[in-house]
Amino acid sequence: MNFIIYLIFSILSVVNASGNTLVLLDNQVIRETHSIFFKLLQDAGYQLTFKIADDSTLHLSKYGEYLYDNLIIFAPSVEEFGGSLNVDAITQFIDEGGNVFVAGSSATGDILRELASECGFEVDEEGAFVIDHLNYDVSDNGQHTKIVVPSEFLIDAPIIVGERKAIAPLLYRGTGILADPENPLVLPILTADSTAYSYIPEQQIKEYPHAVGKNTVLIAGLQARNNARIVFSGSLDFFSDDYFTSSVQKGEQGDKVPVSGNQKVALSIADWVFKQRGQLRVRSVKHHKQGEKVPPQAYTIMDQIVYSIEVDILESGEWKPFNTNDIQLEFVRIDPFIRTTLTRKVPGKYEAIFKIPDVYGVYQLNVDYDRVGYTRLYSSTQVSVRPLQHTQYERFIPSAYPYYISAFSMMFGVFLFSFVFLHYKDEPTTKTKGD
Amino acid sequence: MPKTGAVISKFFKEYNTKTPKKLKIVDAYLLYILLTGVVQFAYCLLVGTFPFNSFLSGFISCVSCFILAVCLRLQVNPENKNQFYGISPERGFADFIFAHVVLHLVVMNFIG
Repeated sequence: MNFIIYLIFSILSVVNASGNTLVLLDNQVIRETHSIFFKLLQDAGYQLTFKIADDSTLHLSKYGEYLYDNLIIFAPSVEEFGGSLNVDAITQFIDEGGNVFVAGSSATGDILRELASECGFEVDEEGAFVIDHLNYDVSDNGQHTKIVVPSEFLIDAPIIVGERKAIAPLLYRGTGILADPENPLVLPILTADSTAYSYIPEQQIKEYPHAVGKNTVLIAGLQARNNARIVFSGSLDFFSDDYFTSSVQKGEQGDKVPVSGNQKVALSIADWVFKQRGQLRVRSVKHHKQGEKVPPQAYTIMDQIVYSIEVDILESGEWKPFNTNDIQLEFVRIDPFIRTTLTRKVPGKYEAIFKIPDVYGVYQLNVDYDRVGYTRLYSSTQVSVRPLQHTQYERFIPSAYPYYISAFSMMFGVFLFSFVFLHYKDEPTTKTKGD
Repeated sequence: MPKTGAVISKFFKEYNTKTPKKLKIVDAYLLYILLTGVVQFAYCLLVGTFPFNSFLSGFISCVSCFILAVCLRLQVNPENKNQFYGISPERGFADFIFAHVVLHLVVMNFIG
């Protein structure tokens, strides 16, 4: 009996912890050649559903509900998806928060190119490989397309790729990606060395390669505004069993590293793209006057205000307090009037105490935390700030006495002047003085 | 230079002889207001604008009194009779007092 309950709970927890994931393959062989990667994903709790990319029964959604949370496309050469799946359906899937993980190769099909350009990347032309004549693996076939990428060319974001220093060099064989430099949402997760370029290896170089040096992106990521994540790798081999387990030796003389870092990075990236990492949320927001407990209906100018926010991060399926020291608060009325760094009081709880400026109006307390790899955290609370009440002003200020005196003397002056004016009679004129 | 002196002395002479006494009273009142305003402004320059509302109300009360007095002077001046046809000097004075009541209410409210 206990065993059955345990079983039910463990199944439930697996279902909760992970997302349903649809894996699209070119052919069943990829399932064998990339078995370690899929095994690792399944061990991490993802429910993988394998389908051939041109399977005519493919559906992402049924009756308006998505069947899957994540989509893996390991089908570089697919020309047309089967069933109801096409680029529009996938972009809509992304628009509604789905995560997509795509691996291309030098033979990337048009449909994946179209998908890539929807996401702000551009895949180099068909047949092109990233070539590096200085950083190739010793097992390369002579065209220098199986390149060795040191881990320092990974993006500097531990939340996406893990600790860079602890990662062995990476093996890569595939096409280059051009990321749109204007697009702030695109992240170059892995770039090539400055000696690399992307071109068709058999051809003589006649025109300038599309991607040269560090501009050649090998793995590109995108976190959309709705926090949907997309990763586009130019190499399917990067995730293969062969590359996961093989040793790395740069050129003939380079140091030999027993196992490449591919496995570690691949799993980190998969966890990131499927939102198991770097997902933040605001648990609660509180604000009140210093010394009070509840927020007033309206603050008065120059009040001391206490603002506190609790931030959580999703770690292995659970929301835990998020600890950092660079969350900022803005007190905004069209322009920010105050921008201050929140201090951490207890883990995951941040607080700021500040004085409202001497300007009244409708303000917002904004926290906008946007860091590479993390989902965008945005919280906005509206408060109104009113001027001092008529009775709250300071009165009888000594330095203002001349003004008081003058104001009263003006009154007295009118009084006196009226008497003189009314009672004076001009000799020659007949008017003046009311009866 | 002597010409300017001549102009000024002529001006005073004309003023002394031709201006009705009633208008002279108004002019004396105007001078008093002007001096008060100048003193306040000088004080503000010296001390700074701290109770700014007090300064504003004190100074503006002077300026407004001056303006009202000038208006009254225009209306009671016999030379302007045809311009203010139908407005007797008594009516002008009543307007003057009414405007003062409103003005001082506002000034008292604002002086803090």
